Amino acid sequence: MSLLAIFQWLQSTEIATALRESSYAYPIIMASHLTGMALFGGMILMTDLRILGVVMRGYSVTDVVGQLRLWKRIGLVLTAGCGIFLAWSKAEFYYHNPFFWTKMMLLLLVAVHALIFRRSVYNNTAEIDRAPIMPTNAKVAACLSLALWVGIVSAGRLIGYYEVKP
Amino acid sequence: MFVYDPSTNPLNNNDWAFPLLEIIHITGFAFSIGTIAIVDLRLLGMGMRHQSPAQLLKDTTPWTLVGLLVMLMSGPLIFSSDPNMYLNNSSFRFKMGALLIAIIYNYTIHRKVAGSNPAPMLGKLVGGVSLLLWVSVVFAGLFIAFV
Repeated sequence: MSLLAIFQWLQSTEIATALRESSYAYPIIMASHLTGMALFGGMILMTDLRILGVVMRGYSVTDVVGQLRLWKRIGLVLTAGCGIFLAWSKAEFYYHNPFFWTKMMLLLLVAVHALIFRRSVYNNTAEIDRAPIMPTNAKVAACLSLALWVGIVSAGRLIGYYEVKP
Repeated sequence: MFVYDPSTNPLNNNDWAFPLLEIIHITGFAFSIGTIAIVDLRLLGMGMRHQSPAQLLKDTTPWTLVGLLVMLMSGPLIFSSDPNMYLNNSSFRFKMGALLIAIIYNYTIHRKVAGSNPAPMLGKLVGGVSLLLWVSVVFAGLFIAFV
């Protein structure tokens, strides 16, 4: 079974059809996806900007990273969960959409980012707070995180503007 | 209503201008609503408890303002792409009402209460109302495309 066939099958499932054709469920899920960005995207921005020394300089990195971690996780589950339903309901359209695949690649890179930096930066904040200056790898992690998430939001928005060629 | 031809607007004559503006708008509200949400979660007693609400308010205020300004500049530009459509759109009208209330609320009641480290019950009420207001602004914004 090809990937396209899988996406076509996903779109033909009952739940996808119901979602696509409902006048309320689809926009409500989309609005929740956007609300997730508003509430929790801001926390990602604040965490990265704290590491870069731009915001909340009076708080330790440990305080910012540690206290926002749970909420960022809840936010990611909510936002990604809604996103999965949105893509599922129009799976074949998404299959042909280059911005969708761009977004998926960027999300994959977020996972790679976590694999690379979690141990040395995000789970190592006590040591970062003791360092006289912000370690370079932490700054690199924060810059990459900002770039990846802005890229993900951008690619996500552009999905809606791509017209599938007949 | 407006004697204005949207087809002369550069926004409608470039494939990238409109989506780019929307991306800026979304990033702007991640800043503004995201920072307000951090204060609200603290008021609700659900996050950032090592800091006081007043401290969090003080440290997020400039970033909330930056986000709001980005939104209030990108929003009217988006509006300019088709003013008559927006003015006739019930979700847009609701959004403008909710936004006005949310901004006034944010700089009066919310600021005063968060800045004075309120009793838990009052904090929960004020933080909860703030979150509801801003979530309703986001929802109404999205629904403009669906009503």
